[in-house]
Amino acid sequence: MAASWITPPTRTELIENLVSGVDRYNPSNVGILEDYLYHQIRSQEYDCLANLAILKLYQFNPDLYNPDVVINILIKALGASPLPDFNLCISLLDERPPNASLDEPDPLPVLLPVLHGLHHLLYRCRFPAFWRAYRSDQLESLRDNYTVECAGFEDSIREVVIRAVKSTFTRIGTDRLGLYLDLDSPEELKSYIDKLGWTLNSEGTVVNIPANLDNQIEAVVVQESIKLPQLTKVIAQAARS
Amino acid sequence: MSRPTLWSTADMDDDLADAVDAELSIYAQQGQNPAIYDQLGAQIEQLEPLLAIQQHMAALAAVPDVVKSFIVSFHQAILNRDLPSITMFYTTTFPKLTDRFYSRAEWPEPEIIAPLLSSNNATEDQVHIFLVLYRDLYYRHVYSRLQPNIDDRFHSYENSCELFNYLLNSPSSANDESDEPAPVDLVLPEQWLWDIIDEFIYQFQVFCSWRSKVKSKTDDELMMLADGTGVWSSYSVLNVLYSLIQKSKINEYIVALKEEQGKENPRPAEEVAQSISPYTALPLYRTLGYFSVLGLLRVHVLLGDFTLGLKVMDQVGEFLLGGSSFGAKTNKSSFTALPTLPATHISTHYYVGFCYMMLCRYPDAIRTFVTVLNFFQRMQRMRNYSGYERKDQYDQIAKTADRTLALYAMCHSLVLPGSPFTRLDDNITNSAKERYGDQMGRMSRGGSDALVAFEELFLYACPKFINANSPPYDDPEAIALLLNADPADAAEGSSPIPTDPTHRHLRLFLASAGAQSPLPTLRSFLHLYTSLTTEKLSSFLDLVKVNESDKEAVEDAEAEEEAIQEMMVLKQSSKSLSRIVPVQGKVDKGNDASSTGVRAQGSLLAGEMISTSDLNFVIDDNTIHIAESTVGRRYAGWFIKNTERSQRVLDEIRGSPLPRGKIGQKQHVPGAVTSGADAGAPAGSTDISGHKKPPTKTVAWGGAGTRATVDV
Repeated sequence: MAASWITPPTRTELIENLVSGVDRYNPSNVGILEDYLYHQIRSQEYDCLANLAILKLYQFNPDLYNPDVVINILIKALGASPLPDFNLCISLLDERPPNASLDEPDPLPVLLPVLHGLHHLLYRCRFPAFWRAYRSDQLESLRDNYTVECAGFEDSIREVVIRAVKSTFTRIGTDRLGLYLDLDSPEELKSYIDKLGWTLNSEGTVVNIPANLDNQIEAVVVQESIKLPQLTKVIAQAARS
Repeated sequence: MSRPTLWSTADMDDDLADAVDAELSIYAQQGQNPAIYDQLGAQIEQLEPLLAIQQHMAALAAVPDVVKSFIVSFHQAILNRDLPSITMFYTTTFPKLTDRFYSRAEWPEPEIIAPLLSSNNATEDQVHIFLVLYRDLYYRHVYSRLQPNIDDRFHSYENSCELFNYLLNSPSSANDESDEPAPVDLVLPEQWLWDIIDEFIYQFQVFCSWRSKVKSKTDDELMMLADGTGVWSSYSVLNVLYSLIQKSKINEYIVALKEEQGKENPRPAEEVAQSISPYTALPLYRTLGYFSVLGLLRVHVLLGDFTLGLKVMDQVGEFLLGGSSFGAKTNKSSFTALPTLPATHISTHYYVGFCYMMLCRYPDAIRTFVTVLNFFQRMQRMRNYSGYERKDQYDQIAKTADRTLALYAMCHSLVLPGSPFTRLDDNITNSAKERYGDQMGRMSRGGSDALVAFEELFLYACPKFINANSPPYDDPEAIALLLNADPADAAEGSSPIPTDPTHRHLRLFLASAGAQSPLPTLRSFLHLYTSLTTEKLSSFLDLVKVNESDKEAVEDAEAEEEAIQEMMVLKQSSKSLSRIVPVQGKVDKGNDASSTGVRAQGSLLAGEMISTSDLNFVIDDNTIHIAESTVGRRYAGWFIKNTERSQRVLDEIRGSPLPRGKIGQKQHVPGAVTSGADAGAPAGSTDISGHKKPPTKTVAWGGAGTRATVDV
């Protein structure tokens, strides 16, 4: 599973060479990587290591810094929760020197705590709280400027929810699921569930989640396994005496 | 009016005397005639080199003879490529002389000792190289024992650059007409090569943290920093390390070795190295390349890029950290012709484990830490026998091991208790409890106490992170802004994301650790049931909350929601990416599974999701079903161990000489010995005419004693 995180199948060879080689430090390559980011945004793909490469270039060359790119990267990383992608991105955001040359005021210091809060809610699986915060007036600027451009942002958040729900539940009430997915009307919920391949029970109140590795539990007793070589010494001694 | 000279200059050189007179007369005629300044200035310039030489000769005379002979023989050994003597000089003589003469002062400057070297029939180039190496030792001494000033920092950087330039780009010898740089004909001990790279990164780190303290700089320093923006820049450091890696083709070498190992008749390592490139064939470059990979890992961690750090270790990591048959054993160096020093071992494992920890891959982190801590404990025991020559080096290793232990303690508490990983090594867990018992107790209990304990240990154990960029010294306005920034202002409008890198990483770590703090309580409730309704669970948690704080009771539905969401977090935390994946044996109807071993993934970043908790649960609409996996009693190992031990004792007794004694006394023997054995007294039975038997292992059924008497 980590293999696809390290090398997503959607990554092109050009980007692969860039990310795995020494060229990733070349400041003139930042344009290529930024274009790749916008490609990810438009086509609902995600490539963590390439985005980290952009942040690293910003770390070494502060004049290349582009706050919009950073915010987009962070938004994309939100959809990868609970993997540590978001934290990795923050680790690479160094301190910014004051009066850096930007045309407009830097939106990042304002939005960063907001994004941090959203990530925290997702990490702690507080999904209704997340949707409440996301839809609130405070985050209007985030919604209008950034997430609206990111195709399928809300769907990627829903995927986070589904990942968590899938591993914890075998059956879940439709109300609760709707609350987690922020799908208010029953029709929306039904169509989403159908897309996933899940089924509803007869009254339409409970969703059945198919069996997967995580939600099948059984009490296991781990026995130790004795191999013959371990017993050779004992048997030999017994044979002698 | 000429001032009378205060002392007689008759016995100094004539030129010198004139120069001195000239200087003094400047003071006499101050401000009188500017033209004189120029004239005198010109004179002084001519005479300065002579002055300098005079000073140097005086200083050279002040150098103790022991030191002078040491320098000469050191130089000779390097010229002769005499590795054992170089090693001895470097590891023993140099520290001894440092302690004796220079424990609080600098070694003599390179210019001063230069005249000593001309006697060794060395070319100028070779003398130059020796001086570069000498400067390396000189600056290392300054950084470790004394406080380097800004000049020292700049000069040490230049010296390091010169050394690496020489190693990487020296033109080939005269017979070879090509323009390609050729490998250098130098032999240095491995310890020194590791110290070169280690020190280089250390000086870089120290410089970066010194550089970011804008407020404490003098004006002179500000000016120098404004001019020298290329000094110790991240790009140049990375450039050096990457070039060493590329030149020595160390990654290709390891890949080739791996392939070789799988073949029928593996070629010796040296041959493999030869086939890759002339640089790889030389142990100097191989070692440097290998150490550069480890150095690169360290630099990436210092800059906060954990995935990249693990990525550069792709080939080397598998070799060093094991997990496959191509694993590292301490005496594998002869097979692979790569060095294994204790310092590198411990340092690398520390950084790799730290990367895993920041990636929230706690099982991998724990495994790494356990490996290295076991190694260190064995080393500690050995130390009393073999006597480590460099005490300061041992101290440094011990400090890193201590921090590794702290990181282990943190990971131990974060992997939920009861997981199979905490049973990995009781030995290490016990030492961790001894050292950090208080914090570990607090961390495992969860709650806000835990976060304080995490913070303490994290700040102690984390690497000294640095900022990649310097404050804008070349922009006077920006600097003025920074200098005049009022601390009160900063505190008020401060963003919750602190700018100091250490604290930034601390906050991230605390966020993920904090998310897990309510979980131990949750687990303790789940342990008690096999199935449970969510309402009941939420009422338990309510009780806990009401006990903990004075908040009014949350509404039922909300409380239930909270409980369910915590359950999801619990489920999430019990899964983790791990590089070593246990392979399950067949599961038959009795729900017995036997772990048949482990399977390891290739590179360090790869892995699969595994469960880290023995408590498994699932929510079925409103009911929680819980299943616990337990480990069956491991009786077989115990029995085998004790059977073998008893057999060994029996063989020993059978082999030992018969006890001498009067015939009469032998009748007492069965009773005496059996009672001795029964009482479990380990003291040899001296009642058999003073002949001490070796203390028998007390076996419960007194078998050894009775058997022996029967044979007699």
